[in-house]
Amino acid sequence: MQDPDAFDLGGFEFSASSHNAKEGGFTSKLATKTGTTISGVIYADGVVLGADTRSTNGETVADKNCEKIHYIAPNIYCCGAGTAADTEAVTGTYYVYFSIFQLILILKGMVSSALFLHRKSTLRESRVVSAQSILKSHLFKYQGHVGAALVLGGFDIHGPQLFTVYPHGSSDCLPYATMGSGSLAAMSIFESDYKDGMSEDEAKLLVARSIRAGIFNDLGSGSNIDLCVLSRAGTKYLRNFEIPQERTYIRAEGYKFKTGTTVINKRNFQTATSTTTEPKKIL
Amino acid sequence: METYDAVGENNFNPSSYHGNHTKQHATWSPYDNNGGTVMAVAGEDYVICAADTRMSTGYSIMTRQYTKVDEMSPKTLMASAGFMADAATLKKLLKGRCDQYQFANNKPIGCVAFAQMLSNTLYMRRFFPYYAFNIVAGLDAEGKGAVFTYDAVGSYERTNYSCQGSGQQLIMPVLDNQLKTVSPLVLPAVSSATPLSEEEAIDLIKDCFATAGERDIYTGDAVELFVMNKDGIRKETMPLKTD
Amino acid sequence: MTSLNLDFSVLDRPVRKEADELTSTLENDVLCGINTHDQYFTIPRVEDFSRFQKDVVEHVKPQHGTTTLGFIFEHGIIIAVDSRASQGPYISSQTVKKVIEINPFLLGTMAGGAADCQFWQRNLGIQCRLHELETGKRITVTGASKLLANTLYGYRGRGLSMGTMVAGWDTTGPGLFYVDSDGTRLKGKRFSVGSGSLFAYGVLDQGFRHDLSIKEAAELGRRAIYHATFRDAFSGGTVSVYHVGPDGWTKMSGTDVGELHYEYYPADAVENPERHGGGEGDIFVPKKREHEQNREDGEKKKDSSPEAMET
Repeated sequence: MQDPDAFDLGGFEFSASSHNAKEGGFTSKLATKTGTTISGVIYADGVVLGADTRSTNGETVADKNCEKIHYIAPNIYCCGAGTAADTEAVTGTYYVYFSIFQLILILKGMVSSALFLHRKSTLRESRVVSAQSILKSHLFKYQGHVGAALVLGGFDIHGPQLFTVYPHGSSDCLPYATMGSGSLAAMSIFESDYKDGMSEDEAKLLVARSIRAGIFNDLGSGSNIDLCVLSRAGTKYLRNFEIPQERTYIRAEGYKFKTGTTVINKRNFQTATSTTTEPKKIL
Repeated sequence: METYDAVGENNFNPSSYHGNHTKQHATWSPYDNNGGTVMAVAGEDYVICAADTRMSTGYSIMTRQYTKVDEMSPKTLMASAGFMADAATLKKLLKGRCDQYQFANNKPIGCVAFAQMLSNTLYMRRFFPYYAFNIVAGLDAEGKGAVFTYDAVGSYERTNYSCQGSGQQLIMPVLDNQLKTVSPLVLPAVSSATPLSEEEAIDLIKDCFATAGERDIYTGDAVELFVMNKDGIRKETMPLKTD
Repeated sequence: MTSLNLDFSVLDRPVRKEADELTSTLENDVLCGINTHDQYFTIPRVEDFSRFQKDVVEHVKPQHGTTTLGFIFEHGIIIAVDSRASQGPYISSQTVKKVIEINPFLLGTMAGGAADCQFWQRNLGIQCRLHELETGKRITVTGASKLLANTLYGYRGRGLSMGTMVAGWDTTGPGLFYVDSDGTRLKGKRFSVGSGSLFAYGVLDQGFRHDLSIKEAAELGRRAIYHATFRDAFSGGTVSVYHVGPDGWTKMSGTDVGELHYEYYPADAVENPERHGGGEGDIFVPKKREHEQNREDGEKKKDSSPEAMET
């Protein structure tokens, strides 16, 4: 891409990549790998999605209670995880820090808008495969640069559906699925205790348990468990379905400071309007 | 000749130390970071040395019960964060030296002498450092609390409090805010002991670890506090979040 | 032509000892060979040593950063230093003792790697003491600085990082040397070393006169270091000032740079006219500067509570 302006069709800006290649390749030091555990399972009457709520930036927890289960359509929800390979392409924008969340939000916005319009034009409920095919074709087009790993679940005319979509655009249709850095921990629970035709409660507890495995055994995952149940009866979004652990110690006295701890060198009052009271009186 | 062939993904660049003829184990590094936070607070007649018990690598927890604080002598505690293999090797070496000192002098090594010995030992590896960040805590000859804080190659300093490891950036500002006193370099000299009582210091340390555990993914599971005063050494354990 | 029989052994590269030689006495163990030249350092077995060192430095982030200065004037030598140590962008200490008191007549300053300076100046102290025991005389500043320079030259290319000044008083009077880890050794009257040295030089060169009184000279050193801490992010903490005279060194002062800041730039001296409301509209009421106020109040200000300080 010699002249980026000639191809200014919006989207990603790749003009620096050829320069970077000449310099021996570029690796972003700020790449945010979002440690996450997300999972989903199909049960007798529907599908249950689950996610932890920790968001990390390197070794620091950026958000202790974020939402990782996103709305796609009233009957379709999607869990997002990902590695931020995309930061290489979009340095200089706020994507650098919040890349994966931002991208998932854009993706879900794109897909949910498309499905909304489709519903309005066809007057029929959205289908999970529609969301799946929009997502995977978009991800494939960007060859892995949009580094989103998704667990997509919903209930439509064909019954409960569960898909995983990988950053390069491939996808699987499965009875149970996990994604993110805690995916192995979560999968160990499914592999040992999954049964066909579980009840809703069984499925909820199994998913919660799989997320808990990620929370406790994967450092990238933590805090609380969010669930989403999608069935013929409708959708239940169970925010903070389980709070597995509370802080273990709180200082009784808190942190109080005596007046005068910070020495005042000078005071300078500037009144916002000419009608307020004399500064002296405020003191 | 046995060659050193190594280097690791994020820290060291492979192959390059050997030109282009040998390339073995391209991703191997002599170092790993096992996370964890250690800290110490000294008072007029006590010293507390504390560390969390999580040991991890990457996104995995290797164990939730790893003690990072060791009693090197009756008056000396030592805590290390960083690479636990290096820290363990270092402590093993130092314990041997402490025994030799005991045999030669018929008394256990004091914390001030131990502090200098640790500095020398670290500097002996100046060109291939121990990847360990250490704190020494103890009671000095006068029975006053002492904390010595180190960098990886042996630069050290006596202070009243210190914190090292993955939670350092979260905890150190709190300790500065709560415990900072006039610098010992200031003239005329001002007494610069930690203003807290033993109980208050324990309370502060527990809160620091609970807070660091909330935001640092490498700090958690439990915190062990070793409290040393004229009555001896007492150990306290408090659970932390395990996620 | 007779050849000089010089002893160059001190310049030899440290030799790796045989294993059985390592079974050393307790003294050697506890000292870790600090007082010997053939020290046993663990050397990584790599071909590209300097590259390895570069990566190690990046990895373990040894403590760094400093402003130090020293100058000779009519009444001896002034040494002034800051006290900050940083590891990358992190300030690891604000209370580092950067003047190393080698013996009552010799001082060393510390810039560069903190461990390197601490270790080798301690080593220098030992060498100087051994010299005293051998000859029964105090070592000269020339000799001491040469011992250090020779030691460092033996480790040239190994990645040591030191910029140090050796200052002291001997039979020839005051002596000041700059010694660094490249092996440089310079005799001089005025040096400043470290990341903030250029800022310190600015103030120092501008205010220097040979006939300064001790008090004036100490103030010049303090002021120069303060201004370096003001502009250099890697310098700060406390300014320590030492004086070296015929009877050895004394510490003249230790002052927090925060206090120096308000001493040199009183809080209210900043032009910031207060704008009063309440009917006065846009009229600027000129405010009395704090140092003018102080002149009137005398010492009263220092004892008064913060509330009483308002103007």
